[in-house]
Amino acid sequence: MWLRFGVTVFFILAIAAAVWDIVPWFEIQRWAVGEQRTFQNVMAGALRGIQAGNPQAVWTLCSATAAYGFFHALGPGHGKVLIGGASLASGATLKRLSILTFLSSLAQAATAIFLVGGLYFILQIGSADLTDLTETWLAPASYVAIAAIGAVLIFRGARCWYQISHVKQDTHGCCGHSHGPSFNDVATLTSTRDAVALIASIAIRPCTGALFVLVIAARFDAFAVGCLAVVAMGFGTAVFNQIVATSGVAARRLIGLGARDPKGMQAISATLHLIIGFMIIAISVGMLLP
Amino acid sequence: MLSAMCLGGVTKAHPHVFVDARTGFIFGSDKQLETIKISWRYDAFTTLVLFETLELDQDKDGQLNDADRVKILEGETNWPKDYKGDIYLEVLGHDYPLGRPEAAAVTLNANQIEVSFDLPLSQPVRVDSTPIFLRLYDPFFYFAYTIVSAKASPDLPEDCEAQIVLFEPTAAESVIQDKLAALGREDRPEIENVGRLFSDEVQLTCG
Repeated sequence: MWLRFGVTVFFILAIAAAVWDIVPWFEIQRWAVGEQRTFQNVMAGALRGIQAGNPQAVWTLCSATAAYGFFHALGPGHGKVLIGGASLASGATLKRLSILTFLSSLAQAATAIFLVGGLYFILQIGSADLTDLTETWLAPASYVAIAAIGAVLIFRGARCWYQISHVKQDTHGCCGHSHGPSFNDVATLTSTRDAVALIASIAIRPCTGALFVLVIAARFDAFAVGCLAVVAMGFGTAVFNQIVATSGVAARRLIGLGARDPKGMQAISATLHLIIGFMIIAISVGMLLP
Repeated sequence: MLSAMCLGGVTKAHPHVFVDARTGFIFGSDKQLETIKISWRYDAFTTLVLFETLELDQDKDGQLNDADRVKILEGETNWPKDYKGDIYLEVLGHDYPLGRPEAAAVTLNANQIEVSFDLPLSQPVRVDSTPIFLRLYDPFFYFAYTIVSAKASPDLPEDCEAQIVLFEPTAAESVIQDKLAALGREDRPEIENVGRLFSDEVQLTCG
C-alpha cells in the first residue's frame, strides 16, 4: 500500500509541477494589475457620474465592477484555493462546480450588501470600522472555515486509503467514484451539506473593494445602484473562478488517465483528497499567521 | 490611508491602491544629498475611499478645506514607528536611514488626492559616480507605486543626474520572479528583497 501511495503522490506532484512551470504567472499577474487599475478608475468616474445624476453611469459602473471582479480574482485569494481544490479532489461534475462557483460569488456579494446595509445604515458604523471588522474577524473566520474543509478532505482521503488497503472485496467505490451505493458515502461535494459549507466559507468574507463601492454609493444616496454593481462584481469573480474550476476538473481528468483500473482511480482520488487537503490547510494557515 | 487600508498584510498580495509617485532631491553644498522630496498621487477610486473613510468634504463643495487637509496629513505623514513610508534609499548596498516627513502638503486635482512632503536623510550623503538608489514599494503589494517624472523638480547640482528606471522584467529574470512571487504569497521569505525586485527606482549619480 505505501509503495502505491508513494507512486501516486509522486505522479500527481510531477504533473502539478510541470503545469505550474508552463504558466507565466508573473506576466499574467502584472497584466491583471494594470487592468485592475484601469477598471478601478472607471469605477471612480462612474460613481461620480452617479453622484451627478447621470443615468448612463449605472451601466458604466456595473461593467467596470464586473471587470474589476474578474481581474481582481486573478490575484491570490481565498475563493480560488477552495474552488480549485474542490474541483481537483471532488467527484463533482463541472456543471455542479459551475453552479457552486456562481453561488459562492453571489453569496459573497450578498454578505457585503448585508454588512453595509446592516452595520453602516442601521448601526451607523463608519466605513473604516467596517473594513477593520472584515479584516480582523471575517477574513480569519473564512480561513479557519477553509482550513476545516481541508481537514475534512484529509480525513476522507485517509479513510478511503484505509478502505483500499483493508477491504478486500472490490467493486465498492469511495471518494466520489462509487458505482451504486457506497458503504461510507464519502463523495465529496456531491451532497448539499458539502455545497453549503463551501459556499459559506467563501461568503463569510466580503471583498474590501465591494465594501468600498457600497459605502461610496451610499454616500451618494445610491445604495441600490451600489448593490447592483456589487452583484455585477460577483459575476466577474465567478467567471474567473469558473476558469479555475474548469482547469481543476481538466487536471483531475488528466491525472485520472494514469489509472489503469477502478481501484487505481480510487487510489488517485484518495491521494488527491490528501494532497489538496494539506495544501488548503497550509495556505489558509499561512494566510492566518500575522 | 494607513489606518483604513493597511491592515493585516500577508494576505494582501494584490494591490488595492495605485500611487503615481514623484521624487526630487535637495542637495546642500559639495554634492551632499540632504533631503528627498516625495509626492504620492492616489488613484481616483482610492481618493473616493479616502473621502468616505475620513469623512472629508462635509460641506459637499467638492473641495478640500483646512480641516480636511489636517485629517489627510495626519493619516499620511504621522507614521507609526515601524512604517518607513514604503521609501527605501540604498547607499553602497545598504538601506540608508531616513527621517520623518516634513513640510507636508495635500492637494486635490482632477479628483485625485496628492500628498507631498520632504524626507530628510539622517545624515547628508555625498553622491559620486556610484549610483544611489531610491525605491518606492510596499513589501505586501497592497499599494502599487509607479514612479513618474516630476513636474518641477529642484535643480540638481551640475554633473548630477537622477534617472528613473521603470521596472521591466526580462525573460530570464521573470523565471526567478515567478518563483519569488510564488514564495512571497505563501512562505514570506526575505520579503523586503522580493518587493525590491519588482519596484521602479531612481538612480542618482554625480559627475
